[in-house]
Amino acid sequence: MTTRRLPAARATVLLLVVAVAAVLAAGLHGGPASTTGAAGDPIPAPALHGTTLDGGRFDLAEARGQVVVVNVFASWCGPCRDELPLLDDIARRWSPYGLRVVGLNLRDGPEAVRALLSETGTTGLTVLPDPDGTQAVRWGVRGVPETFVVDRDGRIVARRPGVVTQEWLDQRVTPLLRAA
Amino acid sequence: MSWRRLLGVLAVAALLAGAGTGLLRSSAPDPDTDPVRTIAAGLRCPACQGESVADSQSPIAAAMRQAVADQLARGRSPAEIRRWFVERYGDEVLADPPARGLPLLLWAVPALALLGAGAAAVRTLRPPRRRASAAAAVGSAPAGVAARRVWWLSCAAVVALVAAVAVVAGRLEDAQPQAPPADPVAVTLQLARELEQQQRYDAAAELYRDALRELPDDGVQLRLAFALLRAGDAAGAERTAREVLTRSPDSPDGLLVLGLAQRSTRPEEAPQTLRRFLTVAPRHPAAEEISRLVDG
Amino acid sequence: MLGDLGTAGLTAGLTSASLTVLLWLRVALLGAPARAARVATVVTLLAAALACGALEAALLRRDFSVRFVAENGGRHVSVYDTVTSLWSALDGSLLLWLLVLCGYAALLARRRHPRRLHAYAMAVVGVVTTFFFALSTLAANPFRAVHPVPVDGPGPNPLLQQHPAMGVHPPLLYLGYLGLVVPFALALAAPLAGVEGRDWLRIARPWTLAAWSALTAGIALGAWWSYAVLGWGGYWAWDPVENASLLPWLTATAFLHTMLSGAVRHARWNTVLACASFVLVLLGTFLTRSGAVASVHAFTESPLGPLLLGLVLLAVLASTLLAARGDPAPPSPRTPPLLSRATAVLVNGVLLVTIAAAVLIGTIFPLLTEPLTGARTNVGPGYYQRTAVPLAVAVLLLAGVAPAVRRAGDRAVARRLVLPAVAALATVAAVGLISRPGLPALVAFGAAAFTLTGLAGQLGSMQRRRRGVRTVRLAAVLAHAGLALVAVGVAGSSAYGQAQERTVRTGETVRVSDVSVRLVAVDRSAGNGRMVVQARLALTGDGSDRTVAPRLWYDTARDTAVTVPRIDTGVLRDTYVTLLAVAADGSTATVRLAVNPLVGVLWLGAALIVGGGLLAFAASARRVRRRPPPSVPVDPPTALRVAA
Repeated sequence: MTTRRLPAARATVLLLVVAVAAVLAAGLHGGPASTTGAAGDPIPAPALHGTTLDGGRFDLAEARGQVVVVNVFASWCGPCRDELPLLDDIARRWSPYGLRVVGLNLRDGPEAVRALLSETGTTGLTVLPDPDGTQAVRWGVRGVPETFVVDRDGRIVARRPGVVTQEWLDQRVTPLLRAA
Repeated sequence: MSWRRLLGVLAVAALLAGAGTGLLRSSAPDPDTDPVRTIAAGLRCPACQGESVADSQSPIAAAMRQAVADQLARGRSPAEIRRWFVERYGDEVLADPPARGLPLLLWAVPALALLGAGAAAVRTLRPPRRRASAAAAVGSAPAGVAARRVWWLSCAAVVALVAAVAVVAGRLEDAQPQAPPADPVAVTLQLARELEQQQRYDAAAELYRDALRELPDDGVQLRLAFALLRAGDAAGAERTAREVLTRSPDSPDGLLVLGLAQRSTRPEEAPQTLRRFLTVAPRHPAAEEISRLVDG
Repeated sequence: MLGDLGTAGLTAGLTSASLTVLLWLRVALLGAPARAARVATVVTLLAAALACGALEAALLRRDFSVRFVAENGGRHVSVYDTVTSLWSALDGSLLLWLLVLCGYAALLARRRHPRRLHAYAMAVVGVVTTFFFALSTLAANPFRAVHPVPVDGPGPNPLLQQHPAMGVHPPLLYLGYLGLVVPFALALAAPLAGVEGRDWLRIARPWTLAAWSALTAGIALGAWWSYAVLGWGGYWAWDPVENASLLPWLTATAFLHTMLSGAVRHARWNTVLACASFVLVLLGTFLTRSGAVASVHAFTESPLGPLLLGLVLLAVLASTLLAARGDPAPPSPRTPPLLSRATAVLVNGVLLVTIAAAVLIGTIFPLLTEPLTGARTNVGPGYYQRTAVPLAVAVLLLAGVAPAVRRAGDRAVARRLVLPAVAALATVAAVGLISRPGLPALVAFGAAAFTLTGLAGQLGSMQRRRRGVRTVRLAAVLAHAGLALVAVGVAGSSAYGQAQERTVRTGETVRVSDVSVRLVAVDRSAGNGRMVVQARLALTGDGSDRTVAPRLWYDTARDTAVTVPRIDTGVLRDTYVTLLAVAADGSTATVRLAVNPLVGVLWLGAALIVGGGLLAFAASARRVRRRPPPSVPVDPPTALRVAA
């Protein structure tokens, strides 16, 4: 049976398929979760300023020396509602150590946000409305919720698309607070 | 040349000219189109699957459209705006990522497929040379003992296939324990909360009791107490809150419900309980309301 | 109780599927009688039906002790949605998959085909069945008991509850996908079966046509669902799941053409395309079932990925090894002239394979980039518009040329193409001078005019043919005309579609060309685990006034919002109204109004393609039945002698 022998072309095809499959398997192993990684090198934070929900002024440039957690949220986003208590908690616990938590409220109405804040009992956040969403786009926000950690020198040292966890905040924020 | 012939040529020429003009007109950019839309169509919505910023209805895409419009109004060029977005979102924000490095694969693979299939097609169309022998080679069926051996081998292969699936499945199960996506207690609690929002407190309390049987938890018990209170069962609320308070005497919510319940069961004790609540949790969202209630 | 019954069904199915493989191999290798093997095949089907029935009963009786019901059932879900929720999530859909697969196996087992070809093919189908039974029993058993038993479940994915088409779309797709297992099995069996194998194409044709028609209908229904439910206004997003269904369709289409009786010379092409189609089905299953690619309607992440990838590899390995054994059919000695149907069929094959390659690499690209660069890079529609779309226009043009070159070596080809060419040029000139649809759409309009005119000419000359030939020709004309109409629909709706999105107060209007909607009121209601917001809008346009009420659903249990558009379907254009958001106090609503021209033509074209496929299926099934297979020696040793 001479034709049983695998021709070179076919063997090449087979090898190629196996190679692609190996890469696919590696991709599968990584899983889609790895898109939610942290940012690489710290980059200077884009500008963030405006009138807060309660009528005050906020400017990130004036918050140098403070560690700022910027959380992009909206009342129409379910997961945001779930993580608000956690953010409120760290804001209250760590504000004496120089932490400020800013809620960038993406494309939302003031009534809706107020309702959300009072429902979740959130009081510790500086809420900055972003009705047309351009501030968020300046920050490269991909979706809500998304959270950024800005260090005392005004650089973004960590970002997390999706819901934050206590561990993540502990890992990224506490070392910055201690450094002061 | 006959008149008819000339007419035919003229007609074809007119058609060709018309079609050519039409094509030219279409390949030039349309002056009427909205420049924001043109730029947004070249950007990919980061929150969606495969939709452009121009088409997507996600709020982020709407915000990105607004950003494009703002920058156009400030007189920036489309190229500058695209660069601005790439700085923030990376190369993949562009609908057509630049073809260098790995994205080259996107063009190389179809090109190779075209070449390979084309070569195969040409080979098929060429007169057959020395390939007629191929047919004679097939049809080599094993017979007798050999066939039996092949059959036993196949038996082993089928068993091996099933065993392989079993082994891999077992290992995967260990590797990623499948948490039930819908925690039954969570579903119950969700339903109960919905009922509360619809002000059907009796039914909600019933569901909270169900949930408590599965998951003894102070938080759930306090929700039950709140639901009972709102349903008008102050005695039940008081009892439930006390159960929590025996375990953790300083629970602010426990004190709050107890105090509110006592206002109807034993009004003389209520202010004291509520004051204790205020000392334990002065910054509770309900604190302001309660202090007004106690002092007023 | 129902859970135990289901698990018993799955275990019985796994056992009998393994037995089926061995029994059919006994028939093929040792010449044993096929009776036992047929019985085992039917038993496997019954086991699959039992498992399906048990899960369906558990869903209907709301037996939340069964894992799948606890995850996908719900007390508030209607009966229709409960029945269809069987295939709304991964593990249940695997059962339907198994049922369809076993159904095909049982149908194929009943036929009287050349014995060894038939038996080998059945063994291949059996191996696939065994694998999926093993997968369902051992890795994704939907019947596992849940403890503690919940009082209620979240219900199926709300997106899937919105459209009656969801009840038909997945089963049709499965009919299409799994029907392709038959040509695959026959292609693998042919080189093993020796001389008997030469007959495999004739046997495979009706199966392929049936599967292809179902697949086409499934893809079209999926597009319709996407258009009518997802509410983003389009019907095709080059989403990984859509691509996964398109890939086998492309190769199966190429296979349907290369396998045509006049083109026996394409033996190697036939084997490769038949194998590729089913391998792509498996690959698509891997991509969409493993959570490897994110998509609007992909199933969530599951541990099945590595197993399915293993099956894909196994299938590639088997096809490569067996295809290497040589062509079962001898090549014909004559060389066809350049302008012949053989050439057209091959060019068509080359084009479709190239489109498939582009779609495939685009779909798996994010998976390839991740291990290499660390980030997932998705491929957007722009890529497909620049690769697949021009090639598809070329395929359409070819469909217009092919009828003209039907007779080999015919001098009249050029003369026959004059009228279509004139029609194409006239269309391009007229459309291009009146409007600006953009280059791709304009070329597509021209190509469609070219093809439709050519087909009309063929329709006229068909009266002279024999009845059987006439049916087949008519089927081809229908399918090709359908393709042209689809092209017109796609080009028209993407070139002339207009949309406007605005936040309006009560009494204000949104206007697109001559159509406008005025916000009358916003209604809200809650209950059944969901909140529904509805905007009542007065629609003016087309000379009639109506009220339309697009909705926004919010499913609390799954925290998902669904926009349900209202579509006012006209002959030449659809008016498409979507409610995107509502202010908390109900004073304003964000409304999107779109006018989508020619979408109806797209659905009509898809229906014609399916109709053509079914007509060809009927004709070829009749032919297979009427003409019994050439008598072939029964026992292998004789077959050997004949071959030698």
